[in-house]
Amino acid sequence: MKTAYFPGCSLKTIDRAYDVSTRVIAEDLGMTLVDVEDYSCCGAGELKGEGIKSHFLPARNLAHLINQGETEVMVSCNVCYHELSRTAYAVQKGGKNLEDIQAMLKDADEPLIKEQPTVRNTLEYLVNVVGLDTIAKHVKVPLTGLRVAPYYGCLYQRPAKMVSSVQIAGEDTEHPHFMHDLMAALGATVVEHRAETTCCGGKNLLSDERISGKLTGRILSTAKTSGADVLALMCPKCAGGLDALQFRAVGMVGDTAKLPVMYYTQLIGIAFGHRPEELHVGDMESGSLDLIRHFLAEPAIR
Amino acid sequence: MAKGSGIIERSLLEDDQIMEEENLVMDGIDISGRWNTMLKTRVHSQRDLDSWDEVRASAIGESIDNCIQCGMCTAGCTVAQEIPAFNPRQFIYWVRVGRKDDLIKNADVIWRCVGCYICTNHCPKEVNTAEVIESIGQWLRTQVPEKMDPAYRANHEAYRHQLETYGRLSLPRLQAEFLSKLGRQKELFGPDLRQAAVKMLKDGRAIKTLLIGRPRHWNRSRFVLTDSARA
Ligand code: SF4
Ligand code: SF4
Repeated sequence: MKTAYFPGCSLKTIDRAYDVSTRVIAEDLGMTLVDVEDYSCCGAGELKGEGIKSHFLPARNLAHLINQGETEVMVSCNVCYHELSRTAYAVQKGGKNLEDIQAMLKDADEPLIKEQPTVRNTLEYLVNVVGLDTIAKHVKVPLTGLRVAPYYGCLYQRPAKMVSSVQIAGEDTEHPHFMHDLMAALGATVVEHRAETTCCGGKNLLSDERISGKLTGRILSTAKTSGADVLALMCPKCAGGLDALQFRAVGMVGDTAKLPVMYYTQLIGIAFGHRPEELHVGDMESGSLDLIRHFLAEPAIR
Repeated sequence: MAKGSGIIERSLLEDDQIMEEENLVMDGIDISGRWNTMLKTRVHSQRDLDSWDEVRASAIGESIDNCIQCGMCTAGCTVAQEIPAFNPRQFIYWVRVGRKDDLIKNADVIWRCVGCYICTNHCPKEVNTAEVIESIGQWLRTQVPEKMDPAYRANHEAYRHQLETYGRLSLPRLQAEFLSKLGRQKELFGPDLRQAAVKMLKDGRAIKTLLIGRPRHWNRSRFVLTDSARA
């Protein structure tokens, strides 16, 4: 199965763990990922204030997708997913905004958007297109006994009108559950908690250490006090605050915010029998490698 | 007791709007305590609708006219729970009644939105509240740029500069620009970041980051992004 794929800047560089684990499990599942060529940044939410211009970077990527003969693209990073979905939605609505988007592409010597693009999130794609049964069949090392707290963040399921997870796959915008279902299919113990869709404040990660520290601290401590061994996430921006800068969260709310964090795709990879090194689990900064090594070494806890 | 503490939605009022006496006898009747809390009448003589015109004309603010002031956006808002003065419903109200003074006074608060889209998702009238707030923030940036907290400005400018120059984001480069704008470049080699930097040098991610490159004929795209005639 050929699937167009958009990794984006951060997955191509420091968040390779998310990219590589996506590719590894896709290969296991018989998917052939084809990258969107000559990609640019999606805008990372930072140009939003600039009205129509905020659509330029996502539109450039969507135009390249269509030019490659594809209309559907799978995206792992939630920020890219949001930005591309938002522009695809503007394209679908048409009117003056679409005309302006095409005019920008023309001025930039880029191809126009000649067809309606569809933007899919890797999580809902795995559950909705590949299917949980197929995924369960590939499990070689069931995650039995590992207590996983799913964390969706914001942009996978909001705003409902613009995202494929809700519009195509029928995800619940208030209480998303696909990651719960997926983790259960891997044999993990799913830990429900009250911060599954609260915001990590990632947009202001650099500029507002206090609020992002507080918000991430609350998510981590909520998951941990609910009994989680590991928080499974799906956004590199969230990972910035929850994993790489976890020390800030700990500084804000104390040791209850100390919790291993991993991309859910890495957990799928482990369950599919891959070594943690292949999935770059060691790139995570929150003790995830120790956790997984311990888990793999002691079948007794499974 | 704090001034006006008995008022519901106290955060919507300024201190100097509230009249309250600890002990007050009026016409021989003792109305000491919270019974004598009054609000000063405000006369709004300068209605300035520039912000409204700007917001509704923008591709991200056009849904503002649908708002019925129900307050669902504020009820679920991430930032409102941290900063009581952050109130998306009220920002929209101020825009629509032309309260430029209040908007300017609270510009620094408005810029703190984290873009979580809870407001948009909860709005019953299809206002894209998150983007309307962004649009109001953008208008304020043209009015009172100096009011922006230096860290927020450095963040915005660093992102803008990296995006238009390279077309792709290298996080270390972004962080370096952000810190140097604030004169905090030393932190790059401080204990918090050094460990991660050394690790990335060793495991090859630093090289990948340096080699991220630019999209093809980026100059054309850059021209579109920096064209000030396009808003
Ligand atoms: S939820 Fe929508 S209609 Fe209600 S106050 Fe907010 S923007 Fe207005
Ligand atoms: S997007 Fe901004 S205004 Fe809307 S709920 Fe989130 S923080 Fe509040």
